[in-house]
Amino acid sequence: MTTWLLLHYKLPNKPSALRVYVWRKLKRLGTILLHDAVWVLPDQPRTAEQLQWLVAEIQEMGGEAYSWRASTILDQDDESITQQFNEQVDAVYSDLLKRLEKPKADLQEISRGYQQAASQDFFHSKLGTLVREKLTSKRGERS
Amino acid sequence: MKWVTWKNIGVDRMACAWLIRRWIDPKAEFFFIALGEKPLPEDGKPFDIPGARYSHHGGHCTFYTLLKERKINDPILTRIAQMVDEADEIQEVTVEPAALGLDLICRGLRQISQDDYEAMERGGLIYDALYAQLKSESAK
Repeated sequence: MTTWLLLHYKLPNKPSALRVYVWRKLKRLGTILLHDAVWVLPDQPRTAEQLQWLVAEIQEMGGEAYSWRASTILDQDDESITQQFNEQVDAVYSDLLKRLEKPKADLQEISRGYQQAASQDFFHSKLGTLVREKLTSKRGERS
Repeated sequence: MKWVTWKNIGVDRMACAWLIRRWIDPKAEFFFIALGEKPLPEDGKPFDIPGARYSHHGGHCTFYTLLKERKINDPILTRIAQMVDEADEIQEVTVEPAALGLDLICRGLRQISQDDYEAMERGGLIYDALYAQLKSESAK
């Protein structure tokens, strides 16, 4: 069974920049918004800590935020949420793989993209391992 | 002075404890309380606890807040603050690749230490080393 972190928050209507700021932070953390209602992350030491500080920051902005540790009642829901997290990183990984196949692929740029995706790869996607292997084997290859 | 923070310290609080002892309060005594424990001891200064003066503010880590609140101007410490920010806060812009390594090492250090006191001592060595290296690079 997976333990999840849930977040629900409300910000003051103005300034609207705050909404964008918080939204971008959640995206950057790899959080998923379920049904436009609740933000979800797997409960891991790093995600728990980041979420704790984001809650404190939302409160500092004059907003309200609640965070929970939660588990689903049905196992199949765990699978479906896990799959959503995997789909999110796999979309990035697939794009990186495509770019790796191109002649004169920009390896520096691709490895930066890989690192960013890997920081959100909470369930160790197989595609991530593949990108990593291709990147490391291309290193030192002479064209 | 007594300084209070939650148990299970990591990259930011190891850096803060080191900063407090080296730059702010050489006689500092540290107390580690359980996560979320209330009320906070009245005779201690809380740090890195949400809502405290010395905590995360405006998307910056507690180490950064301490430098700002205590008006400590040292370019090496400012760089370390950037690293701790990148390790401990969600950042869109990252300019210190060492940040993630620092975070991993501090997490591991806590794992192999008996308690937070031991982790704090060992963490101090990491930051002494980091400071010394950054200083020697900047002198060139």
